[in-house]
Amino acid sequence: MQREVGTLPLAPALRARLAAAGFQTAQELLDIGPCGLSKEIGISREEALEALQVVRQECQGDAARTAGGSGATRKCTALELLEEEQTQGFIITFCSALDNILGGGVQLTKITEICGAPGVGKTQLCMQLAVDVQIPECFGGVAGEAVFIDTEGSFMVDRVVDIAAACVRHCHLIAEAQQEEDHQKALETFSLENILSHIYYFRCRDYIELLAQVYLLPEFLAEHSKVRLVVIDGIAFPFRHDFEDLSLRTRLLNGLAQQLIITANDHKAAVVLTNQMTTRIGQSQSMLVPALGESWGHAATVRLIFHWDNSQRLATLYKSPSQKECTVAYHITSHGFRDVQPPAVTHSTGGTELNPRKRPRAEEEKQ
Amino acid sequence: MVVLRAGLCPGLTEDMIQLLSTNGIRTVVDFVSSDLEDVAQKCSLSYKALVAVRRVLLAQFSAFPANGADLYEELKSSTAILPTGSPSLDQLLDSGLYTGEVTELVGAPGSGKTQVCLGIAASVSLGLKQHVLFLDSTGGFTASRLYQMLQAQTEDEEEQAILGRLRLCFVLQLEALQRVQVVRVFNIYELLRALQELRDRLSQQVVSSVGPLKMVLLDSVSAVIYPLLGGKQSEGLALMMQLSRELKTLAREFSLAVVVTNQVTRDSSTGPLKPALGRSWSFVPSTRVLLESKEATWEKATTQRVASLAKSPRQVRPPGSIPWECRSS
Repeated sequence: MQREVGTLPLAPALRARLAAAGFQTAQELLDIGPCGLSKEIGISREEALEALQVVRQECQGDAARTAGGSGATRKCTALELLEEEQTQGFIITFCSALDNILGGGVQLTKITEICGAPGVGKTQLCMQLAVDVQIPECFGGVAGEAVFIDTEGSFMVDRVVDIAAACVRHCHLIAEAQQEEDHQKALETFSLENILSHIYYFRCRDYIELLAQVYLLPEFLAEHSKVRLVVIDGIAFPFRHDFEDLSLRTRLLNGLAQQLIITANDHKAAVVLTNQMTTRIGQSQSMLVPALGESWGHAATVRLIFHWDNSQRLATLYKSPSQKECTVAYHITSHGFRDVQPPAVTHSTGGTELNPRKRPRAEEEKQ
Repeated sequence: MVVLRAGLCPGLTEDMIQLLSTNGIRTVVDFVSSDLEDVAQKCSLSYKALVAVRRVLLAQFSAFPANGADLYEELKSSTAILPTGSPSLDQLLDSGLYTGEVTELVGAPGSGKTQVCLGIAASVSLGLKQHVLFLDSTGGFTASRLYQMLQAQTEDEEEQAILGRLRLCFVLQLEALQRVQVVRVFNIYELLRALQELRDRLSQQVVSSVGPLKMVLLDSVSAVIYPLLGGKQSEGLALMMQLSRELKTLAREFSLAVVVTNQVTRDSSTGPLKPALGRSWSFVPSTRVLLESKEATWEKATTQRVASLAKSPRQVRPPGSIPWECRSS
């Protein structure tokens, strides 16, 4: 195994010394032993032992893998991946148009980014997803738990109670209509208290807390293995103000994205991020673009942009590896994220509210 | 810079090495470039012995020159041109992807880089029945999309799907899926390890899982390098150059076509888009294709995508660029 010294995960100062002393492959390091190594490059014996430990681990890891073991490498054929994808569930958003353009809902093991102007509904969708991830499997959900990392302080528990109550009611109606055994059993555990107790909430006040939280997430997820959704509401907020060194910001953001995709992949969870919008002033016009710069655009696998069109809210799928670009309309009602009702439906009873954004209550009973 | 060790060549003993190192000669380069008469005097070693050792070391460690005609013959027999699955893109690339070279696809988010990579994987795996290695560092590889593309390609070739042929198509698609191996690498060390493993397997010619490998796709290289660049550390550049050396040696030694995707960045908020990773990386790929979607605002639906050649060893850059359709199926 001819691993070059430059490709081993050692500290840069150590690597520089090894290169200056003339070591090229990992095999040479292993041959010389810790005493010889500490003499040659002038480091203490403990440091030499540590370095050789790392080298041995890497080389043994390589040998185990070439012998046919899969260990920690994520290696498989496309056929196996296809089978995995087909059995993987989606997290529905209760807005069927949005689910359709996403290909079934928010996908697990991928990072989805939601960008939009203030007030367009990003946090609403995050709260809706935190409830929807807990829907039992017999109703078409993923039966998982949710981690909510809040940096802007916009998480309102009362609103989540409303959304959760509407979701539970919806499931009860389905169970009554279909009358199956497992539906009744699942409904026993799917209650308001249960839903709220499975949303793990973290409040991060600046970017250091956010970075620490994300890097500690794998340990948390190892203990709570049922988590299937990680929401970071407001990833732009801690990074947008007070950052003098922009290259450091890019580096931190990219490291964050890398850590998130590793977490999403290893724990089969969906990661949802919300981003703000900023104005780019061109030669003749200005337009709204997602914040945090060009390189951040590549961090998310799926990108949704929410925007207004007069008084209608629209969602555009801007970037996706498997779906076409598309725009749909959605509504936010007192029950949460919902489809737009077609205007031709006129089931107006006496007590209908005249607010076009809220669905008349008669519609809800029909469901 | 190889360190002098006992047994590196006959005549190089431990005592000799001790004497040499007390005079500051530790590596082969030091030895070969020093004045041997001087060394013989200072270390009190025999001049003849030193000359003999130098001859052996030079023979062992220097590169062999080859003449142009031999090189040309070798290239003619070992280079293959692989189709990308899109005829207009093939035309842009002078009939396809050349093995032995690194090709780069550059584009803004959502411009279609992953789609092009999936298309290339589908066409090589289905059309040429060769194995493909896909190194995914962004999590963007979707097997169902690859399957869609394979279905579209088999439908093109088999114009009528009669019942018997349907099953054949399905079998062909499954086989094609099995020939695409996907490795998820999310940081630079995992990537280097995966490339090293590939090199070991190819050099030992273990045919079992790899098969006749001709194509390595890396999507994307900037996702693994970006977290190392910037700030005040410079080890990021060293690792980037190490990676580029690995990719180029793989391409050259085993005649593979290596395709790499890269991001774009801007100098300032109003500057033009340019490929990421800077000037040092721009020397690594021999061909560079820039993917853009016209009307880059997200308010209108965009279907017109344009691929233009930014760097090529063979083509003169055409004044216009070739529009390229993203097929929906």
